[in-house]
Amino acid sequence: METTDLNLFVRTSEESILNWDRSKISDALIRETLIDRDTANELSKEVEQQIRKSGIQVITAPLIRELVNARLIEKGLESTRKMHTRLGMPLYDVDSLILHPNKENANVPHGPEATNLTLAEGIKKEYALLSVFSQEVGDAHMNGDIHLHDLGFIDRPYCSGQSLEYIKKFGLDLPHSLSMAKPAKHPEVLLAHLVKFAAALQSHFAGAIGWDAINIFFAPYIEGMSDADVRQLAQMLIFEFSQQAVARGGQAIFTDINIYWEIPKHFVDVPAIGPGGTYTGKTYGEYEKAAQRFAWSLFEVFKEGDGAGRPFFFPKPIVHITEKFFHTDGYMDFLNLICDVAADKGNTYYVFDRGETAKISECCRLSFKLDEQDLLDAKEPWKMRYCALQNVSLNLPRIAYMAKKDDTKLLNLITERFLLTVKAHKEKRAFMEKLLSLGENGPLALLTMNRDGSPYLRFNHASHLVGMVGLNEMIQIHTGEEMHESKKALKFGIRVIAHMNLLTEKIRRQEKMKIVLEQTPAESTSYRFARLDLRYFSPESGRVVKGDIASGEVYYTNSTHLNVKYAMNPIERVTTEGLFHPLIEAGSISHIWLGEAQPSKEAIADFVIKTFKYTTSDQIAFSPEFTTCNKCHRTSRGLADTCSFCGSADVDGITRITGYFTKVSSWNKGKLGELKDRYRNIDYFSTSEKRKVANE
Amino acid sequence: MGIVKIFYKDDCPMCPMAKQLRDTLQEKNVAVSDFNVGTTDGLAEATFYRVMALPTILIEDEAENSLQEWRGSVPHVDEVLHVVHGL
Ligand SMILES: [Zn+2]
Repeated sequence: METTDLNLFVRTSEESILNWDRSKISDALIRETLIDRDTANELSKEVEQQIRKSGIQVITAPLIRELVNARLIEKGLESTRKMHTRLGMPLYDVDSLILHPNKENANVPHGPEATNLTLAEGIKKEYALLSVFSQEVGDAHMNGDIHLHDLGFIDRPYCSGQSLEYIKKFGLDLPHSLSMAKPAKHPEVLLAHLVKFAAALQSHFAGAIGWDAINIFFAPYIEGMSDADVRQLAQMLIFEFSQQAVARGGQAIFTDINIYWEIPKHFVDVPAIGPGGTYTGKTYGEYEKAAQRFAWSLFEVFKEGDGAGRPFFFPKPIVHITEKFFHTDGYMDFLNLICDVAADKGNTYYVFDRGETAKISECCRLSFKLDEQDLLDAKEPWKMRYCALQNVSLNLPRIAYMAKKDDTKLLNLITERFLLTVKAHKEKRAFMEKLLSLGENGPLALLTMNRDGSPYLRFNHASHLVGMVGLNEMIQIHTGEEMHESKKALKFGIRVIAHMNLLTEKIRRQEKMKIVLEQTPAESTSYRFARLDLRYFSPESGRVVKGDIASGEVYYTNSTHLNVKYAMNPIERVTTEGLFHPLIEAGSISHIWLGEAQPSKEAIADFVIKTFKYTTSDQIAFSPEFTTCNKCHRTSRGLADTCSFCGSADVDGITRITGYFTKVSSWNKGKLGELKDRYRNIDYFSTSEKRKVANE
Repeated sequence: MGIVKIFYKDDCPMCPMAKQLRDTLQEKNVAVSDFNVGTTDGLAEATFYRVMALPTILIEDEAENSLQEWRGSVPHVDEVLHVVHGL
């Protein structure tokens, strides 16, 4: 179907009515649906008669189509109507989209590019719900039983983990690009390749792009460079990624960089690739010092922040803490440096890889434990490319309203919903397979390019995420207590997630699909679920949703987290929340909200070591709050209505929304409600400071 | 009197020994509960106690305070009895 065909219909002058051609209606029906010619002709006559009778002066193609659809419904031809349906948006919606910012994702600024993105997303979302997913799955999403994340990006995988080694080895040789770049000889060129490739990848994935062991893979290029040059390179890397807001829809590239102080065991004996894409003759184990120099410089840049002293929003630095970390020279100095950054700017994420597990982090929370095959791939690190095809979250409180305090019913409903998410995953998987099968001439050419004997996107390694929202409220409804209120309630919460964990194992065996649990970041989902449940499950829902019902700032507690408002010693919170983490394979996090507190780096370092040694927490991050002034461009600690330097009211609040820092003014109502509730650990860190001073 | 909790899995090499310990303790009228981590309840309990290695044997008093634990190993029955009876 050519769009020009439709344009003939779209003309709205009187002239085009004279040029009215009834056969266009039957042609469209026959082309797009399975209807027979006679019925199509009959329909077109009926519609023509209706239009003539109405005496309408101006008619548009979309209106004609809807008139046809109305006839199809009258005739009971529902499946034909679905195929013949039209995707689009009401004028009112487009108008408000163009004029007002999108609050679905705080990472999208407002502007013409962002509007384009939202409009396109709107249509693709409808397309997904009508055409990619079955009615059952689509309905479950619409009514809020489950949430299919990033529907507007239906034609892409969800998120991915990448290896710099690929670009080092193969250069930048992308399908359909105008020029091919050979493997980089110089560090700045490698950096340029990295940034370009990241931008290309961003337009092929819905979510985050994570880069594994970035400081280690840069190391062969760094040896022999002066400290000043290394520092310069670190600065370029961070500024390049933080300023890529000119990319897709004005969105910053959601980038994670994974950093190691030690060379993890699986890379120690791996032959290193250096300038020109050739082996240097050394192993990565021998580049420990160079890798450390780069890691150090990166954090020095994070410590400084941007031109206005604000934290960089992207890239997100993720430091892996392993057993080996504590046996590597200089670890305490490095720990103090990254904790200084955490206390001052909040950037640092700490991922704990205990025991023999190795992990790759990508996306907001997504991490993968490397299995045996992955560890073999580690010998040729350019093969370490991972992705999750889709993320689907369960509305847990909804299940509790329906289970009416019956344990068996509750677990059964979880199983039912879980199987529905599996169905959704199979449907997305089939759709992606179709797109990828078109190869280098298809829409996902980049992901099908084959430079090392397998397509860039390794489909058989792709995983499917199942997330959860509002475990705390589910337990509250079911047992009468929130998880922080009693051991019994907490244990029941663990039982629910244990049940889901066992389901993933079962499905993996039965369906040969990598289904894994993830703590959904649920930036807008926890708000959406709460709103829908207030509509459908009132008055019970009114008693459990968090936030403020009167102002509409409502939310469910994210994933398996404890009530964010409850005043709790942060160590206790991290320990208790950490109990869930071993059950959630694709990654979890505990947040420590700092508010305006600025703990010492030693206090944070002590906290990090304790978390590694005495808890099962997977990941922690410390989140300070800032107020940045648009008038004098200075940044102060804490959220305030006016600038503490010049008094201007033209200020932005900045803190972590879920998985990244952003301006508070862009947050949706649910997150604003959560922000008001967040318990800031101001007392804990100031008293621990006092304790320390007293001890000295 | 201590209460013994035994965590095991169907297919772990040392778990049969743990099950044997359970049987012996039961014969001696010691309060034992056992948890198969392949079941929801077993996995939940194991998660709550941060069981990372199997088998794991924990002994608690009536107020659920830990008295002794063996993670990833199986103690001799006398060692367990010693703790259970508060000797
Ligand atoms: Zn100011």
